[in-house]
Amino acid sequence: MGRWMTVRAWLVLAMTVVIPVVASGHPEIPGGDQGRPVAIIAATVHTVSDGVLENATLVMRKGKIVAVGTDVAVPKNAIRIEAAGKHVTPGLFSAHSDIGLVEINAVRATLDKAETGSVNPNVKSWVSVNPDSEMIPVARSNGVLLALTAPAGGLLTGQSAVMQLDGWTYEDMTVKPATAMHLNWPAMSPVLDWETDESAKEQIASRDTALKNLRAAFDDARAYAAARAADAETPVDARWESMQPVLAGEMPLIIDADDLQQIQAAVAFAAEQKLKLILHGGYDAPLCAELLKKHQVPVIVSEVYRLPLRRGEPYDTAYTVPARLHEAGVDFCIAGGGRFGASMLRNLPYHAAMAVAFGLPEDVALKAITLAPAEILGVANRVGSLAKGKDATLIITDGDPLETATQVEAAFVQGRPVDLDDRHKRLWKKYEEKYRRLGRN
Amino acid sequence: MFRSCRRSLVVSQISLAMLFLATWGLAAPVTTRPVEGLRSNTPDVHALVGARIVVSPGHVIEQGAVVVRDGRIEAVGRVETPADARVWELSGKTIYPGLIDAFTETSVDTASIGSGAVHWNDQVTPQLDVVDSGIRDRDANTKLRSQGIAARLLAPAGRILKGSSAVVLTNNAAAHTALVRRNVAQHLRLTVSPGRGRSDYPGSPMGAVALARQTFSDADWYQRAWQAAEADPGLPQPERNDALAALAAHVAGQGLFVADAANELFVLRADSFAREFSLNLAIRGSGHEYKRLDAIKACNRTVIVPVDFPKPPNVATAEAALAVDLEDLLHWELAPENAARLVEAGVKIAVSTDGLKDVGTFLKGMRTAVDRGLDAEAALAAVTTTPATLLGVSEQLGTLEPQKIANLVVTDGDLFDASTKVLETWVAGERFEVTTQPRFDFRGRWSITVDGEGPELTMSLTGKGTKLEGTVRAVTDSQPNEAKAGDATPDESETEASDESADDRDAEGDTKLSRLGVQDRQLSATFSAKELFGDGVVRLSGVAMEAKRGPPMLEGHLTLADGSRKTFSATRLAAADDGEDEDDEQDEDAQESQKATAEVVTFPLGAAGRSAIPEQPQSVLFRNGTVWTSSDAGVLEDASVLVIDGQIQAVGKDLKAPRKAVVIDLDGRHLTPGIIDCHSHMATDGGVNESTQAITAEVRIGDFIDADDITIYRQLAGGVTTANILHGSANPIGGQNQVIKLRWGALPDEMKLATAPGGIKFALGENVKQANWGDDYTTRYPQTRMGVEQIMRDAFEAARRYRDEQSAWQQTGRGLPPRRDLELEAIAEILEGDRWIHCHSYRQDEILALLRTLDDYEITIGSFQHILEGYKVADAMADHGAMGSAFADWWAYKFEVYDAIPYAGALMHNAGVVVSFNSDDRELGRHLNQEAAKAVKYGGVAPAEALKFVTLNPAKQLRIESRVGSVEVGKDADLVVWSGDPLAITSRVEQTWIDGRRYFDREDDLQARHRDASVRNRLVQKILDSGEEMASAEDREADESELWPREDIFCHGHGHGHGHEHAE
Repeated sequence: MGRWMTVRAWLVLAMTVVIPVVASGHPEIPGGDQGRPVAIIAATVHTVSDGVLENATLVMRKGKIVAVGTDVAVPKNAIRIEAAGKHVTPGLFSAHSDIGLVEINAVRATLDKAETGSVNPNVKSWVSVNPDSEMIPVARSNGVLLALTAPAGGLLTGQSAVMQLDGWTYEDMTVKPATAMHLNWPAMSPVLDWETDESAKEQIASRDTALKNLRAAFDDARAYAAARAADAETPVDARWESMQPVLAGEMPLIIDADDLQQIQAAVAFAAEQKLKLILHGGYDAPLCAELLKKHQVPVIVSEVYRLPLRRGEPYDTAYTVPARLHEAGVDFCIAGGGRFGASMLRNLPYHAAMAVAFGLPEDVALKAITLAPAEILGVANRVGSLAKGKDATLIITDGDPLETATQVEAAFVQGRPVDLDDRHKRLWKKYEEKYRRLGRN
Repeated sequence: MFRSCRRSLVVSQISLAMLFLATWGLAAPVTTRPVEGLRSNTPDVHALVGARIVVSPGHVIEQGAVVVRDGRIEAVGRVETPADARVWELSGKTIYPGLIDAFTETSVDTASIGSGAVHWNDQVTPQLDVVDSGIRDRDANTKLRSQGIAARLLAPAGRILKGSSAVVLTNNAAAHTALVRRNVAQHLRLTVSPGRGRSDYPGSPMGAVALARQTFSDADWYQRAWQAAEADPGLPQPERNDALAALAAHVAGQGLFVADAANELFVLRADSFAREFSLNLAIRGSGHEYKRLDAIKACNRTVIVPVDFPKPPNVATAEAALAVDLEDLLHWELAPENAARLVEAGVKIAVSTDGLKDVGTFLKGMRTAVDRGLDAEAALAAVTTTPATLLGVSEQLGTLEPQKIANLVVTDGDLFDASTKVLETWVAGERFEVTTQPRFDFRGRWSITVDGEGPELTMSLTGKGTKLEGTVRAVTDSQPNEAKAGDATPDESETEASDESADDRDAEGDTKLSRLGVQDRQLSATFSAKELFGDGVVRLSGVAMEAKRGPPMLEGHLTLADGSRKTFSATRLAAADDGEDEDDEQDEDAQESQKATAEVVTFPLGAAGRSAIPEQPQSVLFRNGTVWTSSDAGVLEDASVLVIDGQIQAVGKDLKAPRKAVVIDLDGRHLTPGIIDCHSHMATDGGVNESTQAITAEVRIGDFIDADDITIYRQLAGGVTTANILHGSANPIGGQNQVIKLRWGALPDEMKLATAPGGIKFALGENVKQANWGDDYTTRYPQTRMGVEQIMRDAFEAARRYRDEQSAWQQTGRGLPPRRDLELEAIAEILEGDRWIHCHSYRQDEILALLRTLDDYEITIGSFQHILEGYKVADAMADHGAMGSAFADWWAYKFEVYDAIPYAGALMHNAGVVVSFNSDDRELGRHLNQEAAKAVKYGGVAPAEALKFVTLNPAKQLRIESRVGSVEVGKDADLVVWSGDPLAITSRVEQTWIDGRRYFDREDDLQARHRDASVRNRLVQKILDSGEEMASAEDREADESELWPREDIFCHGHGHGHGHEHAE
């Protein structure tokens, strides 16, 4: 890491916003591979898997965490980061987002989120993740270093991948390709509001059609498998081929469902088809917690900042979903990627914090945006907590990682230092300079 | 025409009588039509005798007669039957005045006015007369008469100023005779339905009111302009306009206006509109009026209420019940009490068939209303005298008094009794039989003697009306015919005895009669011949013959299987019972349990409603907390705040509580000023955007404050006390905004912050140039930011000229009186400093261009909204005195916000701009304190200053900082108690106070949840117990006000959408 003069200098550098000297756009340069070991010393370390360690040291080497604890020997050749008063946390992890697939919502040319048609199990989100999306540096500036990038639209929307938010190419960024298959469960009861043109009757008809198509897709995929087994010359069908891992229970199916009826139907469907189910949305999940526990269905709470879905519900219904799931013993995590999409992914920690304001224990909240998503999405062997052997994907903050005013001072992805500059900071510095020249700041 | 005036007749006003003459053409009319064929001289005189007569509500003659001559009532009471009258014996029956249906409507063809001088807007057709489209509707009339309705108001349907209605009779006559009165009322609908095109003005409810307001103003001007033009032939002639002429005449004559009111809030809106123009108004109600009883009483308007009560919502499964709103459950329970509650409150009501899918259920609805507490006399008045008076036909209709049109209802009992049948409805002296009375009642037991060889038979007939069933059996020795025919008649009852014996016989020997038919006096049936007449089926037919002496005989023949015939004659042994069947009794039982409920109406009805506005203690002391004053005093530790009569009296340490003060011990918690949201679209059901024209300065958010929007309560729970409800961003100059305080439970007008100066929405950039509207919207001016700048200048120029012309006319009095243009009026107010611009803005170039335009007209902007690139021109903003109300961190949802940054607030603040953070979003508005904390995070604004971003600074931007925005002596006690540091994300609102009243308290909220849950459970059980058919999911229809956006849908990509909630 030739740029690093000394450890202290590096930290100073990281704490100050730097405008990199580059000629063209997307100036944030991916971090280089870790050379010397790095030791973060005297920090408050939120291991998530093993409690909070005060005055602890964490050592990373070749991209992995090799030691973490209060009694850790710092290798002689290590770069030392003195981090007294700082907090070290696993890189924040959104279990559901569209980051990399969407740049500007209202500009169609920048959207690669939803393929046409309603049955697209074969499309793969990660091959369309734009590593130079301006959303990415903005998200990681607030500590979000991992995200499931998922396709949307239609019924079977396609496959998602866990991405780490630094790298030259999508391949560099992909932590786990084909993490899950995604399905939007049809709305079971009609909704009458200004966003719906259809009458109640039409909505029920659409629902029935969607449910029929859904079942047909699974039946066809099984029939295809049988035909291929019987005759290897059966032509390949990309859609049904891609569904085989799901049918085999190897690839989880993430079903979008908020309403109680949707959730119950989804759980029943998964049981009938012997699928590995993960729920996304989960607004009503606390109402059927026993069912979810019995069938071991984890829930990705899409977001905490949500209005009650029904007029008469308590004003804090959405705020208390995580606390209620926790109390009921349902496995869950918080994604924070729903309504506002990639541009607001940086607010992930605030979703968790809002759940704390409404009853969720703080350590569980932090877990809900670090280790819990890693466990639910099957990457906990690599990321999600600060433990020996895991990827050195972590952040250093100047305070409680969930509080608004807290600043992320440094971040590492697999031990590579992350450039924490972004479009917003660049513009901020540019116009600070304007007012400095005018003598008006 | 008036054959006699034997009884005293009071004609109060000659002119009124003349009016009646003009529209009055009934039986034996003076007609211009030549007689074809023979002249009809059938006497048209009737005496309905022996009945109980309900002359008018509360006036009953226990036995008397009604004499009808030539379609009019000639005499009522104990009067002699005229010699020339046909006598109708009605003893045991009751005669009521023919009922008046106070509202029906029909779609009318506007072709009749098409060739005239029409209004520019096709929603404005006051010159349309329903009579011109034909008033005769036989099917409708048959249904109406079956309910005792002899006259109805017929109004034209559709549009905003719909046209004029008429009172017509429900006989099947043409307008020549069926029309009682035309031009009865002008009909208004001060809203439009969702789904109109984006270029079809008005495209929103508030646009509809604006159009109506301008039209009433124009009608007034039209009259004055024409007067001026006629007085001075040298003046230019104003345009001719049939719509304005018709409207002006109706207003001038103090004619009746009837406004549709789709829910209780529309009643209040219609009332204030009517007050604005001094209109004589009645309300076409919705059945929801009980929800705001006191306010509606204060309107002092007659309300025409429906009796179409809702089916119970679907609560059959727990999942289905989840989607049912508490308000809908309560409405199911309370809707049948609407009329009773209105009457009890002193509101004058008329009842109509409006809204009934089947008009034939009208009386059922009336009876339900009576069962549920509506006084029977008041109920009768609501369908007789009240509508007669309201519709200006009380000289002809409404009571059974001489000289009135002979509209009568004959019933077999009390009109509002469930088992009572309407037997006849008389319309203008014409008798319409409603319940077909059989000519002959065959029911009972008959002894049949068959001529020649054949068994002697007994036939039993039971049933109702002409629907009979029965049996025959051979008479055996063991059971001889008990008696010879006695004097039993169908009207007398020996029912119990005969019933019991009938039961005994059912066991054996009976042969069932099939194909039983009754026509006039003929009876026919078939029965199996076995054991009686060999094989096959026997056909029986007979005719009831009056005997010279004794009871009637049945004479006829039997046709046997082999085609041979046998004659028979029969005599009646006993009459049948009189049809009190078990069903009726069950109905009555069911109704027993349906008496008026004690359920208290909350404001609003349903979730989190309250029974009254929270009280205002004379004094309140908040003590021992951290007080964020948002003033120069900064943040005070261990401080107290004293509130007297809703205003802050003192802020400091060691304040003493006055006697009887309410003391809130903060116990170290934090107190801040109430949060002010400078950009909100909640609490309006007016559509948010009137997007159809580039300039809609005439529309007013304030016309459509929805006090029942649950968002108000949810935001109170987030500490918001004041909000600026803005028009959307669909056009360069949008509508007028409304600042409200979140006084949950209050009426719409009570929520308005009266001292807030007027404002108006402006907008720049992509939304107004229709960049994201799709390919169909590429021609409206402007399509570029260049054009936006020009249209603003053009509008200011026009408004200046408008004012010049007005003042010139006022000074000289020369020329036509200037027309009041409400659009230019609002823009002129901007020029005069009386109306503040709140401008939606994104890019720095458009911000700067607007500032320069405003500088040219010496206008100071009220605030820039969103102001996403304001950070690039903060110096220019500060120099102008422009303030900025921004999002804390929204960006990238459309191209013009790609450069939006969360540091913008700090940059502008540091450059000397007054900055606020707003929500523009129903969810975000619930935690604006957390948005303020982002000013600390992004750019390092000091915490106390950051809190001002959501308290004092928005107050300054709205020019209400003298009342609200900080904890300072003399300001309104709008305060929030937080569980901790208000900028800490894990802090929660515990109490929200407005005007020294506790509008939100988390403890109270938790209790209200339990209360709401128990009410819900009670109602669900009641529905399940009732066995009533529930509304199916497929039939669900939304309340129209729910179909209007509650956000700015033109602000593309905000992410307001449902996200993943609705899978396709």
